[in-house]
Amino acid sequence: MARIHIDEWPPYSPSDQAKKDNVLIVAKLMVNAALTAPFTGGVPGHEAEIAYGQKELELIAREMERLAHKEVPERLKKPFLYEAVMVRESDVAVFLGNKRAHETPMDVGCGLCGGEPNCSFVYERLNHFNGIIDTTDRSRETAIKGPVCVVRAHDLGYAIGSALWVAADCFVDSKACYSVGLAGRNLGFCMNSEIVVGILLGVASKNPYADIPPNYHLTNMSKQVDGIRKITTITRQIPNHPYHTFDPAKKAGTKDPGKEE
Amino acid sequence: MAVYDGLKATQEHLLDVAKACALAAGRAPALTHRLEIMAEIVTDEDLNPMIDVLATLGENSAFQLHDAVAFQDLAKRGMMPPVLLLGADLTKPALWDCGACGFKTCGEYVKYTSRNKGVGIGGYGPTCVWKAIDFGTAADFACACAARHCAEARIMFSVGAVSMLLGRLEGASFVLGLPIGPIGKNLWFDREAWKNILNFERKMMTQMAGGPSMWMAFSGGGNPILKTKPRWWEDPTFLKVEQDATFIEKDVNCQAKAYEKIMRYRGVFGDEDIPK
Repeated sequence: MARIHIDEWPPYSPSDQAKKDNVLIVAKLMVNAALTAPFTGGVPGHEAEIAYGQKELELIAREMERLAHKEVPERLKKPFLYEAVMVRESDVAVFLGNKRAHETPMDVGCGLCGGEPNCSFVYERLNHFNGIIDTTDRSRETAIKGPVCVVRAHDLGYAIGSALWVAADCFVDSKACYSVGLAGRNLGFCMNSEIVVGILLGVASKNPYADIPPNYHLTNMSKQVDGIRKITTITRQIPNHPYHTFDPAKKAGTKDPGKEE
Repeated sequence: MAVYDGLKATQEHLLDVAKACALAAGRAPALTHRLEIMAEIVTDEDLNPMIDVLATLGENSAFQLHDAVAFQDLAKRGMMPPVLLLGADLTKPALWDCGACGFKTCGEYVKYTSRNKGVGIGGYGPTCVWKAIDFGTAADFACACAARHCAEARIMFSVGAVSMLLGRLEGASFVLGLPIGPIGKNLWFDREAWKNILNFERKMMTQMAGGPSMWMAFSGGGNPILKTKPRWWEDPTFLKVEQDATFIEKDVNCQAKAYEKIMRYRGVFGDEDIPK
C-alpha cells in the first residue's frame, strides 16, 4: 500500500515528481497516437523521443537560449527565450521527427516543393546518386538543411495533431514548438530527422504556455521566487535583536510584556 | 413524436459531423500561429465534376481510379458521404529563415516564388514547410474529430487536388478532401466496387512492382528471372528496365483530357472549344 501525495509546488519535490510521472504516461500515449495518425500512403517515417527530468529539460532550454542569441533571426529571439522558460516549467518534452523529408521523398510530383509536376526542385538542390540522397554531410548553413520533401514534412503535422489531441483529451496542457524541436534536434533527439518538432507538456493550475507577459524570460515565476529569496534574507537581518528576551511586537514600556501593541 | 429511419437519419447526421470536423480543423494548434484554414463541404451531385476528373486521371493511374470507382459506387448506392474540403495558402513563408524550403532566407524564397509559382499533381508550390506541417495538424484534427463521432473518414489527396483544380477554395495552394462517411463498416478499406476492377494478374503485378526483389531469382547473371508463376523456371519472365513510350503517351493524353474537362467545368472552355 502506498500514499501518493501530489502537488505542483515546490517544483521537483516528491509531490511534484508524482505529478510528473503521470504526465510521462500521457507523453508515452501521445507517441502511440502520433504513430497511428493518418499520413501519406500510410508510409512509416516518424520517430519520437521523450525528454524527462530537470537536467534534460534544462539542457534543451539552454540550447534554445543559445539559438535565440546566436542563430535565429531577430523576430524569433524573444519567442525562443520565452519558450525556454516554458521548457523549464514543463514536466515532459516529446520530440517528433520525420526521417524521410530530407532523405527519401515521396517522389510523386505533387508540386508542393517547387511548383513543378515532378520532384526536380528537391533533387536539383541536393547531393544524390540516381535519386538516392546522400545525407552523410550533415553540415548546415541554415537551421534546417533544405530543401525537403514537403509532403513528407506535411505528414509530420498529422503526427503532431494526434499527439496534441491525446494530450488535450487527458487535460494536459501542451504546446508544439519549432524552437524546442530545433534545440532538441541539435542535442541529438530524433537524430535521424532533419525536421523535428518539440511538444511541451505541463500540468499546473495555470497553463504554462498562455498569458505570457513582456520580457517573460526575465519576469517569470522562478525569477520572481528568486527575487524573494534574494531580498528576504537581507531584510531579515536588519532587526537583529535578541529574540529570547525581546519582542518588538510587544508594546514598549508596559509592565505586561505579553500584551500586543 | 416521430420515428426516424435509422439509415436516412445517420446519412443526414454525417453533414453535422462534417461541420464539427471543419470546426476541429480550424481549432488545431499551429506552430506558425499564422495559418488560415479554408473549408467547404461538398455533397451529392456537386461532387460529380470531381469524380469525373478523377476517373479520367484514373484511366492511366490506379491511385486516382481507386478513389473514383469508390465514389461512383457510393453515388450509385445512394450513400455518397459529404466531403469536407480543407485548404490553405501554404506559399506564404513563416518568416523564420529556417532554410527548410531550400532558400537561405524567407526573402530569397519570396523572390523566387513570385516568379516561379506553379502547380504539380497535388498542389501549388513552392511551399513554406512549416505551413505544410501546420496544415497537416489541422487535417489530423478533422480526422480525429470524425473518429470521435464514430464516422468513418479518409483523408484524400486525390479528391482534394481535383477540387482545387476545379476552382474550389480559391486562394488555397493545397486542398485535401475528407469524406465523412460512408455509413457502414470500413468501406474505405474494404471497397466492394474495387473487387473486380483489377484481376488477380494485375494485382500480382502491382505487388511485384512494389517489391520486385522478393520475387527475383539469382541476379548474378544479368537480367534476373522474375518468378511470376508457380513453375517460374519454365518459359521464364525476366526483369528488365526500359523506357515505356506507350505508357508516357497514355499518361500525357489522360492529363490533357482531364485538363480539358477541368477547363470546361470551370467555364474557361465552351463545348465549341473542345476538339472532337
